[in-house]
Amino acid sequence: MRKLIFLLRKEFRQIRRNPFMIRAIIGVPILQMLILVPAVTFEVKRIDLAVIDSDRSQASRELVSKLTGSSFFVVTAIPGSIREAESMLFSGDADMALVIPSDFSEGLSGVTRPRLQVLVDAVNATSAQLSWSYLVSVVRDFNREVVLNKGMVTAASPGGIIASPGGMAMSSGSLPGLSVSPRYWYNPTLNYKYYMLPGVLVILITAIGLMMSGLNLVREKESGTIEQINVTPVMKWELIASKVIPFFIIGLIDLALGLSIGWVAFNIPFEGSLLLFFACAAIFLVAVLGVALFFSTMASTQQQFLFVAFFFVMIFILMSGIFTPTESMPLWAQQFNWVNPVAYLMRINRMVMLKGSGFQDIAADMGMLAMLAVAFLALAIWAYRKRA
Amino acid sequence: MKAIEAKNITHHYGKITAVDDLSFTVGEGELFGFIGPDGAGKTTLFRIAATLIIPSGGRMTLFGLNVVSGFRELRNHIGYMPGRFSLYQDLTVEENLRFYATIFGTTIKENYYLIEPIYRQIEPFKKRRAGQLSGGMKQKLALSCALIHKPRVLILDEPTTGVDAVSRTEFWEMLEGLKEEGITIIVSTPYMDEALRCDRIALMQQGRLMGIDTPAAIRSAYGRKLWSVSHPERYRLLLALRKMPQVAASEPFGDSVHMTLHEGAIPEDVRRMLDEAGIHDAAINEATPGIEDVFLELMKKEVRRSEV
Repeated sequence: MRKLIFLLRKEFRQIRRNPFMIRAIIGVPILQMLILVPAVTFEVKRIDLAVIDSDRSQASRELVSKLTGSSFFVVTAIPGSIREAESMLFSGDADMALVIPSDFSEGLSGVTRPRLQVLVDAVNATSAQLSWSYLVSVVRDFNREVVLNKGMVTAASPGGIIASPGGMAMSSGSLPGLSVSPRYWYNPTLNYKYYMLPGVLVILITAIGLMMSGLNLVREKESGTIEQINVTPVMKWELIASKVIPFFIIGLIDLALGLSIGWVAFNIPFEGSLLLFFACAAIFLVAVLGVALFFSTMASTQQQFLFVAFFFVMIFILMSGIFTPTESMPLWAQQFNWVNPVAYLMRINRMVMLKGSGFQDIAADMGMLAMLAVAFLALAIWAYRKRA
Repeated sequence: MKAIEAKNITHHYGKITAVDDLSFTVGEGELFGFIGPDGAGKTTLFRIAATLIIPSGGRMTLFGLNVVSGFRELRNHIGYMPGRFSLYQDLTVEENLRFYATIFGTTIKENYYLIEPIYRQIEPFKKRRAGQLSGGMKQKLALSCALIHKPRVLILDEPTTGVDAVSRTEFWEMLEGLKEEGITIIVSTPYMDEALRCDRIALMQQGRLMGIDTPAAIRSAYGRKLWSVSHPERYRLLLALRKMPQVAASEPFGDSVHMTLHEGAIPEDVRRMLDEAGIHDAAINEATPGIEDVFLELMKKEVRRSEV
């Protein structure tokens, strides 16, 4: 035990003396929080709209002004033909093209059913869908107003318009008289930052815990210092503990730093218990440090380690549900997440921070995370014994 | 009790046999040298002795403790200096020394007398980071760290490789001082001149031992008379000698050429033939065989044997 204290003292001395380490420990949380949180967003804030208005009526102008009245749509072009609009979509000058038929205003008075055509650049499927649904909701509003103004409150409203994306007919299908007003829980303003921030905190401690600790151990191998240590009476567990403990502490410090930045810079709400939050992070760190240790037993140079670690960190993070809900992933991906510690903490962090979930709500995830931590650490120690 | 006893020690790396069936003993307090070219298996043998690797076959004991089963106890008594500098470059001289003292459960003060002659020379730089020391100073620090727990056996793997001549001489003087403290030392070196300072030496080649004896005995075991031939045009001389049927072997040695003759041939024959070849006034003197000569001869025998 006394030897462990000497080993730890040496470890902290080396960390303190390494300018890169100090910069990374302080710089990584600041940069990640300030860059990733506001930058990574699926919100569509501006849609460049090309409008072909073949009707040129008051009604069509009203529709367009209703669209531009919402903060999302900006009319950037008024092409003369659909072909021209298509080439604008292709070149990226427009994200969406709206074709208003010449019978638009006639249709509104109940003679025909006017069909709006909408062309959407769907390279990014998510933003295409969002743009589409924004448009539909504006059209739906417009529709209802028309219907109400005319006093036609029947279900089969002949005056309704149909918006169809890419020529595909689709009824906007809102029943006049029935209106849905959503109320968003846990993130009432639908602030994307609130959704991302708990996830970025997970990325942060994954990067710190996995990369730094592993690199540290491999560096001892690379420089040969481990040879000298191995000839001393230092036991394997003491050496492993001396490598794990400092980065466990640093990971928690960085988490606190990241969270503070979240409060100061983004005013992130924190509904749950701080203690529970840090307890889960601690369990998670043990699991991640186990993974790092396991990789470092296999690598003999820092380069090898970095490559392997980078590869797995990417997979862990991308599959963890940080961007897309894990529930919508294919079954095999969901099964993979059983052994993905990042997925557990991603879920726990969001629940604790945004919903204020208590111990009982996250007990199952916590238990699994704890089991993973024990398993990874055991695997690492076993691999380490076998190699040395 | 013998300090080191090795019986049929063998070690393979995959298909390569690094150490091939070695048996030897080292007495307590002995300064024992392993001489051999790179790749002879010295480092592997030393790593086995230092409890770092488990041999594929055979057994080795240090002070009666098996290097495999008794490694935990043994590590308290071994001082190991790997061929590559393996201390913490980002810690200072003093911090390195204190670190190794503490993990062995001792203090610098307690065994200071042992390292004093060595450490005193680097003490003025004790606040300097180990990475910024010169080669000779690094080596002294490494030796100090290997000694700080007062080991019973010192295992030094090519400690003088890459160190200047003055530091090398100093280093061997230090080893002799440590011998007087009763510490058993095994040391490997590619330098033949250093071998003379050992009590006994083992010649190693391709994982095998080619002979173990005192340096003097090894030299006298050299079968034939050795002649040193010198002439300003050394290369021509060497070529001429190698063509002569009377000459059994000729190897360049410093400024001269060392040769041995076949049975019945005399140096006068050689001088006459050199004259005929246009190499006049070559000096031919009897030479004392050095370790190199023995080594080269043994190596040739080895090659011949493996060719048969």
